[in-house]
Amino acid sequence: MVERKRKENLLAALNRLEAWHEIQNEMGRITAAFNFKQKDVVENHFALNLEDVSLEYADEGRFEGPEAVKAALDQLMGEPAKPGEMIDLQLTTPMIEVADDGQTAKCVWWCPGIGASVDDKGAHALWIWGQIAVDFIYLNEKWKIWHLHYFRLINCAYEKGWVEDLSRINRVNKAMHPQSLPSTYHNPYSPLSIRDGIPCAPRPYKTYTEKDRYWELSRDKR
Amino acid sequence: MRWTMEDLDLLDEKEIHQLEKRVDRLMSVWQIQNLRGNAAVFHDDQHIGEQRRELNALNYPGVDAEGILEFRRKPVVDSLEGNMLIHPLTTPVVEVDESNTKARGVWWSLGIEGLSISREIPTAIISVGMVPGAHVKVDGEWKILWGAWQRTAKNEYHAGWVESMIPTNTRPPLTPEQDRQGFGRYAYQKDRVRKAVPLPPESDTWNNFPDEWDQNWMTKAHL
Repeated sequence: MVERKRKENLLAALNRLEAWHEIQNEMGRITAAFNFKQKDVVENHFALNLEDVSLEYADEGRFEGPEAVKAALDQLMGEPAKPGEMIDLQLTTPMIEVADDGQTAKCVWWCPGIGASVDDKGAHALWIWGQIAVDFIYLNEKWKIWHLHYFRLINCAYEKGWVEDLSRINRVNKAMHPQSLPSTYHNPYSPLSIRDGIPCAPRPYKTYTEKDRYWELSRDKR
Repeated sequence: MRWTMEDLDLLDEKEIHQLEKRVDRLMSVWQIQNLRGNAAVFHDDQHIGEQRRELNALNYPGVDAEGILEFRRKPVVDSLEGNMLIHPLTTPVVEVDESNTKARGVWWSLGIEGLSISREIPTAIISVGMVPGAHVKVDGEWKILWGAWQRTAKNEYHAGWVESMIPTNTRPPLTPEQDRQGFGRYAYQKDRVRKAVPLPPESDTWNNFPDEWDQNWMTKAHL
């Protein structure tokens, strides 16, 4: 006879493994939808029924709450794609910690990518690399994005590379989105920037509490 | 999908035991991927000597702990700014042994770097390679036993990987010959046929190469 405690441990481990698999698939679907500029699909992956759902994108600010997240996605993906435009982010280096209680997960991916922008001179090849830190939350038997933070690493003309072309590492000086809040972190690569291990790798945890918010910005590597 | 206790109640003791073993080994694959991701984060971070959790099995028999720590503390550039070592991990192959205490893995990586040794304008570098290695479970936690970067290409961005090979940055600098004996041993050379190293670990790797220090699995698919 297998004791109850042993079965409970096995059950918890099985469900955490399932979560690990499901979250990677979910993030893959979200990334594909983002690359294909399918705003509605991306939006559906957010936990928009939660008041503290959030999205932070490079130096475009932090968007807190369902309406602000929708507005941010609209800003990012609302315009139809122009001929020649492209963004192609890829997920690598997964670091995923599912809480012991199985209700949330803290995740980081490193995202190499390419892209193309278009202006009156034609299309221009780009490198677009970054990192993504995400809190997932399990709601109605689905993993949903609770908090997502995209960190820009490089965004540069392909022919110049990340040392010569710094023209795209910071946003242009136009008005911030009216629903944006100040960014928590923006440190793209430049000849004068210093790398400091952010977003950090998530650490094992029991359950998500208020103090876990912005765990990805921790500089304490102990 | 969530498993329930009712699902497990359908299994007999032997089946539970088998499932536990399988689950434990899959959890290990997950934890080892997290471990190597964490190592990639620390590798990019420029703050050498800062207190940080230990990812290597420093107390494992045969590990040169002092050598590892000394290597880590050595500054190889004057400036913090402008330096970057982004080696994303892709293409994972991880094999955990039956006892769930030892694991081998190989990752491939397509990365980018910035290098400024003495505050000069940094060099943009394309950095391609692999991360082969062995891992051991110490006090319930997976640690890196050995294995680090194996270079395929490290080239000045504009020059490309056929024309440019930047040696590993050390003090004093390595000669090209010294570099080819070290991290550059299996790096691309335009006049050479590529060697198939490291091979990813096979599913029977631990039967064929039971010693965790053995590195022959990287060069021989089968005994």
